[in-house]
Amino acid sequence: MIEIRFHGRGGQGAVTAVKILASAIYLEGKFTQAIPMYGTERRGAPVAAFCRVDDTRIRERDLVHEPDMVVVLDPLLNRSVDVTDGLKKGGLVIVNHPGAAKDTGLAGDFKVATVDATKIALDVIGRPITNTAILGAFAKATGLVKLESLAEAVKSELPARLIPTNVDAMKKAYEATNAPVDASGFKKAEIVKKTSTQPMISYSRNVSDWRVIRPVVDKAKCVGCKRCWVYCPETAISLVDNKAEINYDYCKGCGICSEECLVHAIKMEREEV
Amino acid sequence: MKSEVMVGNKAVAYATKLARANLIAAYPITPQTTIVEYLSDFVAGGDLKAEFVTVEGEITAQLVCLSGSIAGARTFTATSGEGLLYMSHALHHTARYWAPVVMAVCNRSVRTMQPDHTDLLAQRETGWIQLYCENNQEVLDTGIMAYKIAEDDRVRLPVAYALDGYVLSFTAEPVEIPDQEKVDAWLPPFKTQYPVLPETWDHDLEEYKKHWAQGKGINEPFTPFAGDENFSHLTMVSWGKGHDLQWRWRAHQEAMMRAKKVIREVNEDYGKHFGRSYGNGLLEEYRTEDADAVIVAMGTLASTSRVAVDNLRKQGKKIGLVKLKSYRPFPDEEFRDIGKRVGTIGVIDRNISLGENGIAYGSIRSSVYDLKDRPKVLGFYAGLAGREVRVRDIEKAAEMTLKGAEGAPTWIG
Ligand code: SF4
Ligand code: SF4
Repeated sequence: MIEIRFHGRGGQGAVTAVKILASAIYLEGKFTQAIPMYGTERRGAPVAAFCRVDDTRIRERDLVHEPDMVVVLDPLLNRSVDVTDGLKKGGLVIVNHPGAAKDTGLAGDFKVATVDATKIALDVIGRPITNTAILGAFAKATGLVKLESLAEAVKSELPARLIPTNVDAMKKAYEATNAPVDASGFKKAEIVKKTSTQPMISYSRNVSDWRVIRPVVDKAKCVGCKRCWVYCPETAISLVDNKAEINYDYCKGCGICSEECLVHAIKMEREEV
Repeated sequence: MKSEVMVGNKAVAYATKLARANLIAAYPITPQTTIVEYLSDFVAGGDLKAEFVTVEGEITAQLVCLSGSIAGARTFTATSGEGLLYMSHALHHTARYWAPVVMAVCNRSVRTMQPDHTDLLAQRETGWIQLYCENNQEVLDTGIMAYKIAEDDRVRLPVAYALDGYVLSFTAEPVEIPDQEKVDAWLPPFKTQYPVLPETWDHDLEEYKKHWAQGKGINEPFTPFAGDENFSHLTMVSWGKGHDLQWRWRAHQEAMMRAKKVIREVNEDYGKHFGRSYGNGLLEEYRTEDADAVIVAMGTLASTSRVAVDNLRKQGKKIGLVKLKSYRPFPDEEFRDIGKRVGTIGVIDRNISLGENGIAYGSIRSSVYDLKDRPKVLGFYAGLAGREVRVRDIEKAAEMTLKGAEGAPTWIG
C-alpha cells in the first residue's frame, strides 16, 4: 500500500486534489481511497488530505500518519506545520516552491522535488489555486499515475469551463518539475507559531503566513467608501484618514477586498517566499 | 455495470435513485447535506423522477415521508446527529403506522460534528430496523436492500441504514453501480397496505367496501391475512381489537422478529443477483474459524478491525471479528452460536449509554447469558465524538480480549 499526505490551505483545493488523484489511479486499475481532513474550513487555514493506493480494497479507516509521500501545495506552509512529520525514510516530498530543493526549508532522510505551481496557476488559471498543477508535478516525480488519467479524472471533479486551463496547468507543471533531490544535507526551516503585537481583533490569531498574495492599497485611488472594510472576513481593514489600511497580521490574503473595491484601489501582489 | 470513485453520501444518493424512490423529503445538516444535494441534482436533471419536498425541519421531513408512504410513495429521507434527535418522535409514528420509509443516517456525535453511533442507537426503541455499514459499496448495496426489507409483507417496517459521518460520508473510494434494469427486476414497485389511493393499494377495494358495509370496520380488522400470525401487523389497516393497544406493541415486536429472517433472505438474494452480500445480513464473521476470542465492531470500526485481526493472525494469535450490521432486530441467536465457540467476546462500542455501558456490549452479554458455558464478554469504548480509531487501538482491545481480562469497560485511544 502507498500512502500519500497532502498539505495545503483552505481554498487551494487539497481535498479536490486527492479526489482527482484517487479517481485517476483507479482508472489505471488500482484500488484507492481519498480522505479529507476537515478543520476550520476557513479560506487560508492549513488543511490536510490523504490518499491510499493498493491492489485490493482498502480497509484502513484512520488518517495517514506515516506517509510514503507528502505533497505540499503552499511554499510557506512548512513554517507553521511540520509537513514531513512521520514521513517514511527514503520517502518523497513534492512541494510547490519557486526555488531549488535546498531552499525549501525541508530537510531529512527523503527526497524533495520542486515546482513553481503558484506561478503556473497564476499564469494559466489566473488564480493561485495550485491543486491541479501540483498533480502534474506528482505524476512526473512519482510515476505513480499518468498525465492522461489525471486529465480524465479532472472531468468529473471540476465544472466544464475550468477543465481546459486546469489540464493545461497540469501539463505545464509536469514539464517544469525539478527532479527529486536528496534532502539529508539540507537545513530545516524552523516552525514558528506567529503571534501578533497588534491589538486583538478577528479571531485574535496571526494569519499572515496563510498569505500567498497580499492586498496593496493605492491610497490615491481609494475613495473611502468602506466596501472592503465591510467585506473583509478577517476584519483586517480599518479606515485611517478615510483611506483603507490593511493590518497584515490579520490579513490572510483571500483577495475579497480587491474583488469588492469598485474603484480598483486594491491590487493583489504575490508574497515573497 | 459502471463504477466510480465516490464518497459515501453519493453512494446513498445512487442507491436511492436506483431504488426509484419517488418522494424525498430531507432537511440539511452536516455531514448529511451533500446527500440532499446529490439527490436534488438527480431530480433537477431528470435522472430521478421524484417529488422533492423541501421542508423546514426534520420532524416535517419524517412526517412527509410517513404520509407519502401511507399513500403509496416509495420514500426517502436522510439526517444526522441532532437532526435525528429532533426527528425522534416522528420516528415512532412512522414505525407504528408500519410505513416502510427508508432513511440514511450519517452518524454524527451529539458532542461534535464527527461520528459516533449514539445518535442512531438512541433511537433503538422507535421500532425502526437499523443497519450499520462499513464501506461505501456496502452503503450503496444496503440502500437498495433496505427497500426490499422494509416493503416485505412479513415486515412492513421502516429501515434506517447508517454510515459513519465524515469517515464514509466524505471519503471517496471505488463503488460499483448496479445496472438500473437489474435493480428494477429485483425490486418491484411499491404497493401500500393503506387504502388511500386505490392505484397504489395492494388489496381488493370491493372487499374492503363490503367489510365496512357490514359494519365490521373498527372492531374486526380488515385484512386478507387476518388470523395468520405471520401477517398480524396488517390488522393496522383498521383499529383492530378496539382499544386494546398493547397488542400493537406485540404485533410490532413479532414483525421485528420476523425481520431477522427477511434480512437474511434479502441479503442472500442480493448476493445471487448482484454478486455481493454481507455476512448473513445481520452480522458477518471474519476469521472466526478456530478463534479463541472475537472482537465485535460496527460501522467503519469493523473495517479497521479487519486489518487488526489480520495483523494479529500473522503473529499466530487466534482472534476473529464479528461485524455487527443489524442492531435492530438484534441477532441474539447468532451471538449465542458464536458464544458456544469462543472463550471471550470483546465488544468495541462507538457509543455509550451514560450511566450504564456501551450499548452493543449490553445486548451481546444478555444474548449469551443463558448459555451453560457462557463466554466472558468484555467492553471497550472507542471513537466517541469522532476520535480517530487507529489499527493499533483495535489491536490493543483484541489483545486484552485474548487475555480475557476482567473489569469495567475500557476506554481505548
Ligand atoms: S473599497 Fe476601495 S475605495 Fe472603498 S474604502 Fe476600500 S479600498 Fe477604498
Ligand atoms: S484585507 Fe483583503 S485580502 Fe486581507 S483578509 Fe481582508 S479581504 Fe482578505
